[in-house]
Amino acid sequence: MSCYWSSSPGSCCWHPSSFSKAIVILVDALRYDFTVPFTPKDGETAHHYHNALPFLYATAVKQPNNAFLLPFIADPPTVTLQRLKGLTTGTLPTFVDAGSNFAGTAIDEDNLIAQLRTAGKNVVHLGDDTWHALFPDYFDPDLTRPFDSFNVWDLHTVDNGVNEHLFPLLHPTNISKWDVVIGHYLGVDHAGHRYGPDHPAMTAKLQQMNGVFHDLVNAVDNETLVVVMGDHGMDSKGDHGGESDDEIEAAIWMYSKKGIFGRTSVSSLTPPATAKERPVAQIDLVPTLSLLLGLPIPFNNLGRPIDEAFIGAKGSDIGNLALANRVTSAQIHRYQYEYAQARGLSDESRSTSLDAWTKLTEIWDLNQRVILPGGQDWKGIYTAAVEYQTATLEICRALWARFDVVSMLHGVEVLALGLVALVVYARGINGDRTELTPLLLIRATIGTVAGIVVGLTLGLSIPQFQLIHATVYCTAIGGLLGLATGFYHIRNRLQSPIPSSAWSWTSLMLPVALSAGFAANSFTIWEDEILLFFLNTFGVLLFLSSFRQKSPVDRTIGCTQSIAFTVLTRLASLSRLCREEQMPHCRSTYYASANSSTSATWQLTIPFILTLALPAVIKTYFAQTLSYQHSATFMVGFILRLGLALTALFWTLDAADDGEWFGGSTQAYLKTVKVFVAQVVLAIGLAAGYATFGWAAPLLNIREERNSSATELRSASQPIETGEGEAKSSIIILGYANVHGSRYLLLFIPWLVAVILLQKPMGGGAIGILAWQVLSLLEIIDANQLADTPVGPVVLGLLGSFHFFKTGHQATLSSVQWESAFIPLHYIRYPWSPLFVMLNTFGAQILCAIAVPATVLWKAPPKKKGLLGDVAKAMATHILFYALINLATTMWAGHLRRHLMLYRIFSPRFMVGAIVLLIVDLVGILVAVGGTRWSFMSVADVFGWSSVQ
Amino acid sequence: MSTSSTTTTTKPALPQDSPQPTNTPITLLNTPLAQTYTHIHPILLLSIYTARFSATVADPVSSLSQLAVVTAVLQSVYAVTCLPPTSEGSATKNAEGASSASNGSGGKWTKKPARTATRKGSLGARIWPATLSLLLTPPLALPPLTALAILLGAPLTTHFPHTLLLSLHLALLSAFPVLYTHGVSARTWRGVLGLMRPVDEVVGGALGALLGAWLGCVPVPLDWDRDWQAYPVTLVTGAYVGYVVGKVAGGTVMRGWVVSFD
Repeated sequence: MSCYWSSSPGSCCWHPSSFSKAIVILVDALRYDFTVPFTPKDGETAHHYHNALPFLYATAVKQPNNAFLLPFIADPPTVTLQRLKGLTTGTLPTFVDAGSNFAGTAIDEDNLIAQLRTAGKNVVHLGDDTWHALFPDYFDPDLTRPFDSFNVWDLHTVDNGVNEHLFPLLHPTNISKWDVVIGHYLGVDHAGHRYGPDHPAMTAKLQQMNGVFHDLVNAVDNETLVVVMGDHGMDSKGDHGGESDDEIEAAIWMYSKKGIFGRTSVSSLTPPATAKERPVAQIDLVPTLSLLLGLPIPFNNLGRPIDEAFIGAKGSDIGNLALANRVTSAQIHRYQYEYAQARGLSDESRSTSLDAWTKLTEIWDLNQRVILPGGQDWKGIYTAAVEYQTATLEICRALWARFDVVSMLHGVEVLALGLVALVVYARGINGDRTELTPLLLIRATIGTVAGIVVGLTLGLSIPQFQLIHATVYCTAIGGLLGLATGFYHIRNRLQSPIPSSAWSWTSLMLPVALSAGFAANSFTIWEDEILLFFLNTFGVLLFLSSFRQKSPVDRTIGCTQSIAFTVLTRLASLSRLCREEQMPHCRSTYYASANSSTSATWQLTIPFILTLALPAVIKTYFAQTLSYQHSATFMVGFILRLGLALTALFWTLDAADDGEWFGGSTQAYLKTVKVFVAQVVLAIGLAAGYATFGWAAPLLNIREERNSSATELRSASQPIETGEGEAKSSIIILGYANVHGSRYLLLFIPWLVAVILLQKPMGGGAIGILAWQVLSLLEIIDANQLADTPVGPVVLGLLGSFHFFKTGHQATLSSVQWESAFIPLHYIRYPWSPLFVMLNTFGAQILCAIAVPATVLWKAPPKKKGLLGDVAKAMATHILFYALINLATTMWAGHLRRHLMLYRIFSPRFMVGAIVLLIVDLVGILVAVGGTRWSFMSVADVFGWSSVQ
Repeated sequence: MSTSSTTTTTKPALPQDSPQPTNTPITLLNTPLAQTYTHIHPILLLSIYTARFSATVADPVSSLSQLAVVTAVLQSVYAVTCLPPTSEGSATKNAEGASSASNGSGGKWTKKPARTATRKGSLGARIWPATLSLLLTPPLALPPLTALAILLGAPLTTHFPHTLLLSLHLALLSAFPVLYTHGVSARTWRGVLGLMRPVDEVVGGALGALLGAWLGCVPVPLDWDRDWQAYPVTLVTGAYVGYVVGKVAGGTVMRGWVVSFD
């Protein structure tokens, strides 16, 4: 037992090193089925990613003593930074760390690279610069070559850079300059992100890698170990991040000229046909590499040595294998002992592990003490060690998902109280909110400040309280208490927020049903279809309600627009991106095929159809109230049309770039030109569009009528009798009836242009449909006199959530379209790149939030009192919709924290809910309500009203 | 047409505007047979549906096709024995109009004044309207109900026979009795579609069937792996259960109530 506590190499029980040098090649997203020959079953034909990288398999079969190939299973989240942590420390990741893929912080746990440095090895790194965020200053500064890792549209820069610097290092003149080379190729991953695995670009990339490995094997010497591995796989569209089988199944291949590898049985002579057979875990790399290089195993490793590397060339060296496993077990045991001490874990919670350890110790001691008949029982030691490692890992997997239940309860409490406050503000106040809002805001601010003070005091003075937890919780509760005193102050203005009409009941019950459904994984998986169902239920109800209208005009508009609304919803629903759990009952249409992330050729027509149709459609809605004049003609007829035309040009150039329509030098210009085009669209849309919105006069015109024949104009206009003598002549203000609605709606267009640009062609089509639906909804609401009901804000909430799915998203990490950051930029640039990804992901919710004030303002009487208060009420109702969903998904994720599907379904949905609520809060208050005020001021200016509200 | 009835139960106030000629609930025929059969009918419908349930699960298309014939016969018997036929057009009028109805202008022809008085008392005077309503139900009600199902998310490219059968059953349960009792005039149907008619056995049954089918969607996505979860079994089941509940409630406790949206 004495050497069990000793971790220095070379001491009594340490494992002798097999290699002095190593080349570790990481091929990002190298899925296992890329590396094994394709065997067709039930008529399936080979995909582009099949049979393109035969070298690894061929060497493992032909020279089993020199090479082996195995499935290499990643622990989710399958993002590169998390995987690098796992591959170097040997520990299990925690899920929430995934967010830090984009801002890696240095590893402070013990790890392979640190052990290499401590052992005096010179480590060279080439490729993906993520390593430098994790291991700052660990690598040889002269030979190391980092490359930017996030430009997913660039397939070749990193790979060519690694090749350019890797092969010179293998030259005999340079061989003494390094001990370990880490090369990280990104081309396969980027080809997956950009095109999906089933694309000729993937074939080309895998063939290139095949050539690289071939040359590498020819170049290395006897003393060098070569490891090739993937850090994760990719899903059918080439993305990753989650825990589906395709995402976690990577490959590992080890090669050496020494010929010391073997197989434990005859059945394992050839590499497994699928990743389901004989897989090894990615954490197993850590002990394997440590022992092969004669290094101490990093302290917090939980992996175990890979059998093939230690069983010996003849496959009979069970003694070596048993020793390797016994050493690793000792390290794990030491780690577990420390961990249990630090965490105060009881022995019962890890009893299976402790029992297995006792068994291992007994059999080991027995073998040490007495010579057994027939030699030492290595097989027994090996079995006992493997049993111990398996039991320990199992406990750690269960144990390490640690939940801070107190924080979770406090969070749910704050969200629930916040929801109550929002309910009171949105539905429980009688009359105009405009004059009450400052009072409530002041009270809430005072409460918040008091909460901060109390929280800081408690956190600093009472040692049991965590400072951050206490401060955050007290701040939130303080703000809510302040708001509560405000509500008490205006108590005579409060009314029951309980729905009183069928419309408000429907608007309440459908979101409640949706929220309740998030408790079941099936309803969460099928959210897109449920939203279609609920939206069109609303559409049908609005259609029926339109029959009740007395005015034939209202009836006709209500009926036709609700038919348009429901048909458009169903049309948009044809754009689908299926999540893995929806298979096989779902067929993706968002991309060219289920194995692709590029658009099909026919989808290229969508931006052109949008260019022709969308401005014309929007124009008719302005024209109905004679509001299509002045700035509206510029905004819709020029900014929108040009923005859409250039977006269509962008996607054509993109297709030309992808498909390599032109050869040679033209090809190089394409990329520059298309990015420039995208930047022009943003400039036209957001900059020119916002300027137009800012300076636009109300969309009015004046016409003098000599007779009263133009009666048809009157419904939408305001006749002012001049009344002098003749009485036949009158001045008509065209567009007066919808002066607020049309003026405000100008704000929608700049955002529409920006969001459509950042979507794929199919998503642009969905957003175009969304715009049309918003306008028809405004007409329906006006025809049915529903401006004061929650119908508009709630339908917009459903609509925003629905089009989130129709723009190619799902509540999963892997469906985030990171590549949209590269539509208007060549490189990652902060803060723009995250903003573009946000506009791509949550564009639908953002547009719907901006449309909320229009539900109140559309055709509202221009001099109606308290319009701004009504807008605040509508916006609060809209936010209420997302707040309800956020509360529900948070509660369910907390309640189901031991559910098998927590990380796969409930946690991602909870995260989406929280982010959406935050974005809708910001956009709703800053963009929409702010825009409403601005639009009111411009209207009031013209009519000389001191203020409309 | 579906969820509104959850929220209908407000006040028995009559709507302000009254586009439909009659604003009173349908009264059952005053015969002992009518008073008896109206209670037997829902039991009969549900019993047959339950008896055929496993066959429906096993082979929805053929089972629901056969069941549609049975339901059509039962609904006709129910109409003839229990319900008063439409008073707006006589049997002869309907016969004349049948040809023009088939080319889609169903609303116009009943506006002509009735030439002969309907003899509500005689059985023969009810068989004609029942037959005509039954014949008109598919062309008038199937297209909008199928469109409704597809709009609400029924598969567009697959399962078309299933969707059609779902719509057929819905049409027999909801549209047929309304056609028989209210005729086809545009004004009446504006009242029916606007949910402005007071609730009675017929309107209650129609709303119940549609709401039942709506609620029948709920179990479809659940991962219970049961055969009966397959589309459209739960929807048709919901329609039958909803029809019976709605018919009974509409004839008793909810009779005379009017849907109020505001």
